[in-house]
Amino acid sequence: MESLKLIRTLISANNKFISEWKRLKRPVLGYTCSYTPEEIISAGEILPIRILGSLEPPKLADVHVSTNVCSFAKSCFNNALKGEYSSLDGYVFSHSCDNQKKIYDLWRRYTTIPKAYFINTPHSTNENSRRFFRDELEKFREWLMKSFKVEISEENLRSTIRTFNENRRLLRQVYDLRKGNPPLVLGSEALEIVLSSMMTPKEEHNKLLQVLLEEIDTREDVPKEGVRLLVSGSIMDNSELLRLIESVGGSVVADDLCTGSRYFWDLVNEEEEPMTAITERYLHKIPSSFMYSSEERFRHTREMAKLFDVEGVLIFSLKFCDVHSFDAPLLAEELREEDGLPVLCLEWDHSLSGTAQLRTRIEAFIEMLEEQI
Amino acid sequence: MSERRLATLKGFYQNYVKPSYEMAHKAREEGKLVAWVASTFPVEILHAMDIIPVWPENYASLCATRKVSVPLCESAERKGFSKDLCSYARCVLGSLFDGENLPEGGIPKPDILVASTCACDTHMKWFQVASRIFKKPLFLLDVPYNVDSASPEQLEDRYVQHYVCQLEDLVSRLEKYSKMKLVDSKLRKTLTLSNKTSELWLKVQEYRKSVPTPMGAREAFSAVYFMLCVPGTEQAVGFYEELCAELEQRVKQGVGIIEDEKYRLVWDNLPLWFDLQFFQYLETLKAVVVAETFSHVWAGGLNPSKPYESLARKHLSNMANCTIERRIELIAALVKDFRANGVILPTNWGCRMMTIGETMVKEKIQEMTDVSSLILDVDSTDWRNYDEFKVKTKLETYLRTLNSLFKIGETRRSAL
Repeated sequence: MESLKLIRTLISANNKFISEWKRLKRPVLGYTCSYTPEEIISAGEILPIRILGSLEPPKLADVHVSTNVCSFAKSCFNNALKGEYSSLDGYVFSHSCDNQKKIYDLWRRYTTIPKAYFINTPHSTNENSRRFFRDELEKFREWLMKSFKVEISEENLRSTIRTFNENRRLLRQVYDLRKGNPPLVLGSEALEIVLSSMMTPKEEHNKLLQVLLEEIDTREDVPKEGVRLLVSGSIMDNSELLRLIESVGGSVVADDLCTGSRYFWDLVNEEEEPMTAITERYLHKIPSSFMYSSEERFRHTREMAKLFDVEGVLIFSLKFCDVHSFDAPLLAEELREEDGLPVLCLEWDHSLSGTAQLRTRIEAFIEMLEEQI
Repeated sequence: MSERRLATLKGFYQNYVKPSYEMAHKAREEGKLVAWVASTFPVEILHAMDIIPVWPENYASLCATRKVSVPLCESAERKGFSKDLCSYARCVLGSLFDGENLPEGGIPKPDILVASTCACDTHMKWFQVASRIFKKPLFLLDVPYNVDSASPEQLEDRYVQHYVCQLEDLVSRLEKYSKMKLVDSKLRKTLTLSNKTSELWLKVQEYRKSVPTPMGAREAFSAVYFMLCVPGTEQAVGFYEELCAELEQRVKQGVGIIEDEKYRLVWDNLPLWFDLQFFQYLETLKAVVVAETFSHVWAGGLNPSKPYESLARKHLSNMANCTIERRIELIAALVKDFRANGVILPTNWGCRMMTIGETMVKEKIQEMTDVSSLILDVDSTDWRNYDEFKVKTKLETYLRTLNSLFKIGETRRSAL
């Protein structure tokens, strides 16, 4: 499928849309967390793109950051040091986890990207947090307008919200293609589609998704049936791990990932005042593990498992990701005891070292499931 | 050398820490409310409400000093908690799963749990796990990150307001749950005592600036207990008054905690709880720790007439809630004020907050003070990866380089 081929090329800070955007001398802003309200950025004609890592060993970052640090955060930092993000006019961090907030200091000291901003995302969802977050996002909007000399009007916010919501609806349609058996889109493909959305102007991405949804109807290389799995974790910024699962007979039909369903599942209310609606959406979206409490996320994971009729769950904890590692045993217990689902918990390193061992364990898990089914 | 140890600190554990656990166990039997509390939570609120605080962090450190922390960590790991998580958290959670022969009869069970996001994610996550295990509520203060490292006075109003509103909410929920009232006059009294505790604790640090220093890290990591865990009490004030009197005497007489002080060190982060002899070993190398960052982050002036606001300002500007620059400023100030000629930066395997930026700290401390630092890859509580020989060799080599760069005798002469 042509659209899928194109989508794969978009998961890069130097893709054709970003280059074109830069050619028109419009600003590009990198962000590190799915709690970053992209609508506000985008409404100012600034392109928000997600800062991603890569599979290569983070040699440059290793000079500044020791082993026991989130390998994803480190890989992103390494990419920045390498100049992968030299096209950025600035970057935004969010108060997500300890790894991110501390590595923000290193970005400020060691990278040469001109502008930096930190959004104090709350970790709870009560009324106080809502008020504080609303204020925080207003400050962010002011910073964007002042730093990039742009206007972020209510009207622009409204139309941006509509475009973003459209993208979210289309991504849901892509996800729906995996409800049947066999799924019409592979898990690895779905992940690439979501990732590409973070790296592309949403209008363009919407067009691409429409083409893709049409092409799917006549897809010849329909994925094979496999054991239906849900993958849960924090970040997955490339599809290698999912390909590995697929190569041993797994069919990843659903996820609970920051870079997967949690990125687009919730819409922004188009009827409300835009800044309020954006605040609500990001505060109450399917939570990440750094939010209190985890119950809401577990509920989403279990709901996804039902909705996509999964037969087993793989929980991936990225090495040194504390918030997810604390959750993993609790989530596993809930899925096993409440839903009777088999669960395999795995730790993985972002650079995918130790893949052979991962493969063996996943293969054994899938074989066990195949025997049961 | 043993007669140089401070009399005030003799039997510290038996006299103060052990009874606090006995008291908490007893209180629970008597139906009093026991709360698990994490550092950077304004514990004065609990003291003022007569809720008995229990500190899981303290319990983990005491398990480490008794050399039982590793089996407990392993017990948590068997339940699926990653080996890379905070060893304090693993140790305490492990003690809940595997409760045989635990120090002090195990950590007292909580009726409630209180924590803040001020210091790290781990407090929130760890307490959330415990809250599920005990089926008891967790009251959380969601503290914004002080990304500008603003001082208590410089903080933006909306940060302070956010903290204050949450604290008010939390207190009213606590009152409802505990059926106890937070009485204003009692809170004011607790804050006044907390201030007194802070003043005295800072006075202790002042004495340590003397050459030779009358007190080292071994003593400080015990004595900080009152500042950290029980700041708003008469007991804390009484203890520090006694300690100050002894230190004053020592300084007057010019008696140092070690006989021949050659290296004056600043110690960042936590000690190796499982090997507190490490500080004695330092002494054999004529090295003494004159200041710890850990001893300089808990004191803070509170205003009894504005209790919530001053608690907010104190905790929002705690080093743990600020950027790496704040930590660098503190270490650089300690190097200068305490006339230190070396800095030890022990990492803590499961602690992102203190690990990230170690090399930046080292680099900037060198720039700012011309003093080099030594990074030690260790963990405070889990000794499984501790290579004693390697660490000590590294340390000895490091001290030798200090020797060649600094002549402490000269520093001392010029300073006196």
